[in-house]
Amino acid sequence: MKTQYLVTACALSALAGPVLAEGSVSVLTWEGYADPSFISTFEEQSGCSVSATYVGSNDDFAPKLMAGGGIYDLITPSIDTTKLMIDLGFVEPLDTAAITGWDGIYPKFLGQDGIQKDGAYYGMPYSWGAIAFMYRDDAFTTPPTSIADLWREDLKGKISLWDDKSAIYVAARKNGDMNIYDLSDEQIAKAQEALLEQKPLVRKYWATAGELVDLYKAGEVVISNTWAGYQSSLLAAEGVKVTEFIPTEGAEGWMDSWMVVKDTPNKECAYKFLNMQLSELGQCGVANVNGYSAANAAAAKSCMTSEQFAALHQDDPDYLDSLLIWAPLADRFETYTNAWNAVKAQ
Amino acid sequence: MSAAPRRNLAGALILGIPILWILVFMLLPYGIIVTYSFWIKKYPSFMPAFQLGNYVTLFTDPQYLQVMARTLKISTLVSLCSFALAYPFAYYLVFRCRSQALRTWLYMAVIAPLWVSYLLRAYVWKTILGTEGILNSFLISTGIIAEPSPVFLYNQFAMVVTLTYIFIPFMVMPIYTALEKIPRNLSEASADLGMGPWRTFLHVTLPLSMPGVAAGFTLTFCLSFGDFVAPFLVGGPDGNLVANVIATQFGAALNWPLGSALAIVMLIIVLSIVSLSDRLESRGNGGEF
Repeated sequence: MKTQYLVTACALSALAGPVLAEGSVSVLTWEGYADPSFISTFEEQSGCSVSATYVGSNDDFAPKLMAGGGIYDLITPSIDTTKLMIDLGFVEPLDTAAITGWDGIYPKFLGQDGIQKDGAYYGMPYSWGAIAFMYRDDAFTTPPTSIADLWREDLKGKISLWDDKSAIYVAARKNGDMNIYDLSDEQIAKAQEALLEQKPLVRKYWATAGELVDLYKAGEVVISNTWAGYQSSLLAAEGVKVTEFIPTEGAEGWMDSWMVVKDTPNKECAYKFLNMQLSELGQCGVANVNGYSAANAAAAKSCMTSEQFAALHQDDPDYLDSLLIWAPLADRFETYTNAWNAVKAQ
Repeated sequence: MSAAPRRNLAGALILGIPILWILVFMLLPYGIIVTYSFWIKKYPSFMPAFQLGNYVTLFTDPQYLQVMARTLKISTLVSLCSFALAYPFAYYLVFRCRSQALRTWLYMAVIAPLWVSYLLRAYVWKTILGTEGILNSFLISTGIIAEPSPVFLYNQFAMVVTLTYIFIPFMVMPIYTALEKIPRNLSEASADLGMGPWRTFLHVTLPLSMPGVAAGFTLTFCLSFGDFVAPFLVGGPDGNLVANVIATQFGAALNWPLGSALAIVMLIIVLSIVSLSDRLESRGNGGEF
């Protein structure tokens, strides 16, 4: 109790302002990635005050940074957006030697094209997970196992799908096209057709995590895709019983990386922050708050219980390998988004 | 300082401030949007150009025409529904309601929701129209339906209901004002000349209130034409409106040029409606008979 009081007092003094702090860092990130549960410890130890602005989707990063620099020091786009940030010139190469724990990161993540350019790293892998599927337990006697279950006539008006270009990935896999980040025009057209066929069955395309939770809670939908670990735990807290599953057609995987905004004046605090996020404090911080898996396996192993370590698939390289990690679409991006927009316009 | 320069200064301020305001907050942003609309999308973002490709896309790719047609339909329905509800209400307040206190109360009841956050008011309709919502509970408890029905939420019906509720004050206010301005002795004169109440209404009251009706139609139509929250909260898969597409072009698609072109087309539609209604109103004011 006393320690808790002390922690609160520290948090308050940290909030009280940059007057006490030696430096500051401003992050544009997802909710939970700068949660007071671990950020206040960082502020106290480093003397850097943290101010966070939250995004609702990966589409928010570019417009926010395009409006002009000098506001944010660090951003956390997902691996489908990191390349765009590099190509737009919004971020600068990382000094990986100044980041402790870099070697503990899963090699699969360090091998991603999306966070590198010309032999330099621009992103520090932080957290990851699957775009799993999810159903309401009380709505199924035989659990669904396939993406095709989201096209079932008898579930009409009870289906939801993420309002994102990911919908094209889902439909392509249903069509048997597994090269989802490298689809030809014909394959995209076929996916678009499948989505149009599904449209009358869809109750609502979900746009935010909270919206999907509301849809399940209000009994509007019984099956959808989801950010594995996140919405299901929010629903569990509300007493709604749902189960996540990886369909036979496989699932996409996402991975978020910290990136340093070009020419930030707060480099010292930014690197202190990166080091913290890759350490036990940050890695277990995000795992505990958001239910996401950690990118630094070594840190995760030392700060997680063995149950949590297993539940987040940290001990299971096959699981990670089975995920189709989002890849940058580069100049194909427009064709994908255009197809999805055309579905929504109908 | 002599009086003349001071007067000049005052004159400059009186004229200058509004002109500066219009320049900085209207013409400049519109100019920027117009400029963007001629640019071209090129990975990773877009680049300056002068071409009409974005406008051509808007009128050749069926998805944009579809969304524009849907937006026109929804906003027309919202305006009609608002009119159907607001006119009798305003008429009652002005001509039938005997108690001044009751009239004030009823008028305030229409205006008061404007002080509540728009988002909250739209959100409330979700809890009313939902499958496990208030409307369904009511219908089941009265025995009208046996099973909760999903037909009230996440479709165009829900959007029209929500938008009508939100924008109806903008229909009530101008109609109320127009009706209030009508001299009472006109309807008395009409009665003296042997017209029944219906014909008096059709030939005297209604024509004289047309400026208010036109203003109400313009306001509700333009407001719902640019709305993008209702589709997001209570619309279904087929609920995308123009404003949502613009938001997507500026966000997910990172195609500001196309989004700007769409915004310009929308602006032209809205401006033509406003000028049309302006003409209607001035004709009404000038007296058409």
